[in-house]
Amino acid sequence: MSAEPRPVEDGKGGLPPVLDVDPFTEEVLADPYPFHEHLRELAPVVELARYGIYAVGRHDEVQTVMSDHERFMAAAGTGLYDLRKPGAWRSRSPLLECDPPDHTRMRMALTRIISPVVVRKWRADFETEAQRVVDRIIDMREIDAVRDVAEAFVLTVFPASLGVDIPHENAVAIGDMNFNAIGPNNDIFQRSLRKVEPILEWYQQSFQRESMIEGGFGQRIYEAEDAGELPVDSAPGLVRSFIRGGMDTTIAGIGFALNQLARNPAQWAKLHDDPALVKSAFEEAIRHESPSQTQFRTVVRNTVLGGMQLVADRKVAIFMGAANRDKRKWERPEEFDISRRTTGVHLAFGWGAHQCIGQMIARMEAEVILSALARRVRRIELSGTPTYRLINTLRTLECLPLRVEPV
Amino acid sequence: MPKVTFINPDESRVELDVPVGQSLMRAATAAGIDGIVGDCGGGLTCATCHVLVQEEFLPDTPPVTPNEDQMLDFTAMGRHPTSRLSCQLVMTEALDGLVVRIADPQL
Ligand code: HEM
Repeated sequence: MSAEPRPVEDGKGGLPPVLDVDPFTEEVLADPYPFHEHLRELAPVVELARYGIYAVGRHDEVQTVMSDHERFMAAAGTGLYDLRKPGAWRSRSPLLECDPPDHTRMRMALTRIISPVVVRKWRADFETEAQRVVDRIIDMREIDAVRDVAEAFVLTVFPASLGVDIPHENAVAIGDMNFNAIGPNNDIFQRSLRKVEPILEWYQQSFQRESMIEGGFGQRIYEAEDAGELPVDSAPGLVRSFIRGGMDTTIAGIGFALNQLARNPAQWAKLHDDPALVKSAFEEAIRHESPSQTQFRTVVRNTVLGGMQLVADRKVAIFMGAANRDKRKWERPEEFDISRRTTGVHLAFGWGAHQCIGQMIARMEAEVILSALARRVRRIELSGTPTYRLINTLRTLECLPLRVEPV
Repeated sequence: MPKVTFINPDESRVELDVPVGQSLMRAATAAGIDGIVGDCGGGLTCATCHVLVQEEFLPDTPPVTPNEDQMLDFTAMGRHPTSRLSCQLVMTEALDGLVVRIADPQL
């Protein structure tokens, strides 16, 4: 949606080279960076032989595939499987899995519901909750920052804003399932599906009209549908999209910021002196390790991208986490450096018409909790080895053991 | 190269050379002008690159799209008749000499 023109290539291109690695194995998910490097350096577009799809991992191509909906559509699904084909087993997101102009009207109606003006009014409540979270961990000293900071905060303030009731343990299981489902139907996905089976009925109910809590923006989505501003029957799927998109990603970003800051005491000291810097620390954290790692589009018609010939109807895997470490775009990309100019340049929130609609909410959550910590904690240090949850398309910490030293 | 003058909330002025095809938001953030935030990078999602365009340049600016129109209602300062989001102001030769005032507050 950027007003600046983007290049469109035409004519004939070369065949994308084959990359014979499965990115959706526990081995690669545990440390995706060697795969990312391979993907970026082999060619602007590669073919992932195992899945018969294309993949992109450089900044420029990722930006183009995410935003050029005339050549790369979302309507055939933003997951690995083509939603137009029989046997589609994943329910469509009414907002994400469609293209302009259909998308535009819905997006505008939702933007009114969670406009920056609305979101700014939530800040005081977020700050109160952040104080409680910080009071508690200051007493504890030895914490798991994923559970005691990121989840404790996000899983309280976000469901409260949306106006849904989501028990913490259910949120984690649902998140695993949802972000696995964007990728292949592999063992990792099947295991997460078995885990949510006992709560699936509760989950289906959680985004229905009767479950909306008075005053939340979920209720406003149902009202907008009633007023004809949103398509008939879209509200349940839209509220579900906000549940899917809004929690695990933000938890991941806050976890990454704390993980990197614990490893860089000098940068923590800077935040402690000037908590306004937490904004750039968060942006750099989600550039450095991107929560939403992989999304997909479908080639609309035969086209050329980065000099490579692409065939209509094939899926393209978009590796945002790889693009955010592309050395064509970033100097010393593997280093975490809060003084970088990252905001508005990195692709962790996507690009184009579907660029994250919740990004100002995510930023405010991160800013409020991280600045509350930065003010009251002099030092944070790792007290164990952090572990990751292995999920097909989401990168996030499972456990981040920290020792905190209050002022 | 065409020039643009940004007037900061404290009335100080910064003049930048902005290449044709670049947005004012990009030029300002690259030059470290703090009053232009540009959180979403031009995605029309944050409304944090709000400027007031000096009136005589208005006819030479690109038309306001419905998305920009809606976002202008959500700026922190509130909307004025000459309000624009600077991510949508892409430099042209005709805009050489453009003067814009940075909205205050931006966040
Ligand atoms: C750090 C936190 C977050 C990250 C990294 C993130 C990432 C993303 C990305 C990459 C996309 C684009 C997907 C695509 O184009 O295929 C997206 C879209 C979306 N996000 Fe987020 N997100 C975050 C927080 C949130 C929050 C807090 C919400 C809820 C308020 C949210 C709701 C959505 C929705 C509904 C979309 C679809 C937008 C559309 O199709 O127009 N996200 N997000």
